[in-house]
Amino acid sequence: MIDALRQWSDRLLGRGDAAITVPVFDGALKSNHLIEDAEVVAELDAPEDLASDGNSLWVADSARLLRFDAAGQRSEAQTFERSVSAIACLPDGGIAVALGGNEVRIVGGAHDGRGFDTANGRRLHAVNALACAPGDRLLASDGSKHEPPERWKHDLMQLGRSGRLLEFDLAGGTARERASGLAYAFGVCAGGDDAAWVCESWRHRVLQIGGTRDGHVVVDALPGYPSRISPAAGGGWWLTCFILRTQLVEFVLREPAFRKRMLEEVDPRYWVAPALSSGNTYLEPMQGAHLKTMGVVKPWAPPRSYGLVIRLDEDGMIRYSLHSRFDGKHHGIVAAVELGGWLYLLSKGRSRLLRLSVAGAQASLAS
Amino acid sequence: MNAVTPILALRKATKKYAGVPAIEDVDFELLPGEVHAIVGENGAGKSTLTKVMVGVVGLSSGQMQIEGRDVNPRTPVEARELGVAMVFQETSLVPTMTVAQNLFLGQEHFFNRLRGIYIAAQQFMQSLQFDVAPTALVSRLGAAQKQMVEIARAVLHNAKVIIFDEPTASLTPEEKKYFFDLIANLKRRGVSVIFISHALEEALQVSDRITVLRDGKHVVTDQTRNFDRARIVQAMVGRDLSQTLYGQRKRNVRPQGARVLSVQNLRMAAMVKNNSLSVFAGQITGVFGLVGSGRTETFKVVAGIIKRDFMHGGEVLLKGKPVRYFVPASAVRDGIVYVTEDRKIEGFFETKSIADNIYLGLLAKLRGKRKLVSGVESASVGETWIKKLNIRAIGKDVKAIELSGGNQQKVVIAKSLIQEPELIIFDEPTRGVDVGAITEIHQLINRLADEGKAVVVISSYLPEIMALSDRILVQRMGKVVEEFSALDATEEKIMYAAIH
Repeated sequence: MIDALRQWSDRLLGRGDAAITVPVFDGALKSNHLIEDAEVVAELDAPEDLASDGNSLWVADSARLLRFDAAGQRSEAQTFERSVSAIACLPDGGIAVALGGNEVRIVGGAHDGRGFDTANGRRLHAVNALACAPGDRLLASDGSKHEPPERWKHDLMQLGRSGRLLEFDLAGGTARERASGLAYAFGVCAGGDDAAWVCESWRHRVLQIGGTRDGHVVVDALPGYPSRISPAAGGGWWLTCFILRTQLVEFVLREPAFRKRMLEEVDPRYWVAPALSSGNTYLEPMQGAHLKTMGVVKPWAPPRSYGLVIRLDEDGMIRYSLHSRFDGKHHGIVAAVELGGWLYLLSKGRSRLLRLSVAGAQASLAS
Repeated sequence: MNAVTPILALRKATKKYAGVPAIEDVDFELLPGEVHAIVGENGAGKSTLTKVMVGVVGLSSGQMQIEGRDVNPRTPVEARELGVAMVFQETSLVPTMTVAQNLFLGQEHFFNRLRGIYIAAQQFMQSLQFDVAPTALVSRLGAAQKQMVEIARAVLHNAKVIIFDEPTASLTPEEKKYFFDLIANLKRRGVSVIFISHALEEALQVSDRITVLRDGKHVVTDQTRNFDRARIVQAMVGRDLSQTLYGQRKRNVRPQGARVLSVQNLRMAAMVKNNSLSVFAGQITGVFGLVGSGRTETFKVVAGIIKRDFMHGGEVLLKGKPVRYFVPASAVRDGIVYVTEDRKIEGFFETKSIADNIYLGLLAKLRGKRKLVSGVESASVGETWIKKLNIRAIGKDVKAIELSGGNQQKVVIAKSLIQEPELIIFDEPTRGVDVGAITEIHQLINRLADEGKAVVVISSYLPEIMALSDRILVQRMGKVVEEFSALDATEEKIMYAAIH
């Protein structure tokens, strides 16, 4: 009863959960143009994910698995019958691929041919990230039980809370659910101490599941919606944010009647919702005014799409960040992988594979 | 220099407050029918200069002349009789009276015929081409119309010189345009205008000549056509005195710790508009902005001293948790302290001793848990903090009012630090503080950041911001508009961000 009253008063006064506020890009999140200035390695058709085996870079592009060697030569390693929604390189040389979001299959290596399509009796539905874990295990984030990976926007607008963190035992062939009820699980990595870090996108945070600090919020109050996470060479992690929070979207997310009508009546391309790319048509909704000072559009100018990669240290503290701002094109960064001193980025919004020198980026930020 | 006799001139004008010069050896000339803009940073001496002109304060040395005659107005009334009037930022009209009554306020006869006043006011306003009904209540007028009445009143009193202090601060763009037309109209009537503004665009647009003041001294006066924005900003901030006082710019900045404070889309009346910022542990976050930029108000909301907007006021998160304080004591309990900019009114009890003042800080933190006030504990606390902060006084029992400005400030700081805060907000920490104490207070602020505390320093003085801050936030019109690392900030860049 008291909760209901509080909710009602919060809604009336714009407080608590009804406060339409967005964290600011400042401090280590201060914006720059590093992603926008990144070198374009390849133009792709429909890229989904990146992985590295330490020597080569693997790219999931629609139903194809592409390999880029150290010299940057591109080759098509394999084509699948369905689109690949996530990949991970296994220590034994194999590759785990998620197909259409509802099947995980091992290609090559000791467990070649093994597949998983259920966990805890529930079918996989939107597997969008895979990561190796010690002990021949594979971690996966299953975004939603209602919407496939490509309909993430629908899940956001319905305030989906059905994401899962899954663990597959590659040797034993078993699968188990380590966490459920996540507000869109998108991105996973193995922490130490049998722990897994999973991105809970719609709650703008990274959670630790298992280990000594089970349930601990590693990164909270992000200004964007986090996606995949991968290890950084010097320790710590690279975390991508594939879309950005804005006050307008936060407002829409608190208006169920508006969202219901929008979902029913408006083409999803023109929803008042974040997007992987923008500026493609005049029919897109305006996202509000852009704040310009000193001749530069401010980082907190509300964009419809954005490019953001965050460098975390081992404890999840934000060290620095890379950006492509609203006036850029390299938006919708869904994956970042460090290999040989380069950080490879996948811009799904622009369908491009990008790379930038990690040392160069650090030097640029320090100057 | 000028063949024409200046209508108003100041020669070697110096005004000292308690021995500290607010303006020093300033020469200033205002020509007949001229619009003369005076620009400068906060504390540059603009207000003091104009207060001297209208008789609010007297000169310590130097001379003021009206049309070549030496004068010494001791009150605004005397200045008005000499033909110098000032239109203040906050209008001085009586809101419950009509326009006509305000115009003739102070000139009433024993018996007044209201109709006659209205007719006279109507004719006078028409002669000025001011479209304001004389029967309208002032409280119903817009900001621009109120200013018209103020101007009309000044002209009615035969003012030859009208001084405008930040006249456009509260005007809409349309009203500003109208106001500039009024200035042109006054100029045509032969009235000289002094125009004080932080908005350099306006100074460049409306004035014939510009004078730049810095640190209480005259820097340059020149024709407006010889100025551009860059030259004005350079003249406003280029200084050498500050370098010797505050030291060189930073070569290293402290690394950023955990986010302690996150202000998200904060709103507070007209002063704070959708403001967002973060403060991190182990760093000094400097907050710069011109007067009225909403710096103090933002952090007073954080510290529970004033309230954000009741509805949709945004969020304040302390270590990730939303907080909303109704009284400062709650903020103190959570580890937030605010060291006020106005220490004499808000900072201490002036008739209490140093020890008692500091002890009161501890009692505030304990929130009634200490049932009995202990004189022994008070004395011990006083002695400890006098030693810690090097407060120069004969003893702990000296009353706060008897201390110098710097030592008073140290008492205010001690009162806050005894509360063991995690986030310390210093608002103008060295305002009115002697030079020796400035260095000590700066060392203390640096030490707090080195200990891992989150420190905020709000200052209107750029050298102080540059010397202390690891990161610098610039506020303008109620929100943070720019962030600099101390490594790449320059005074010009900061000032540019503050006024654009």
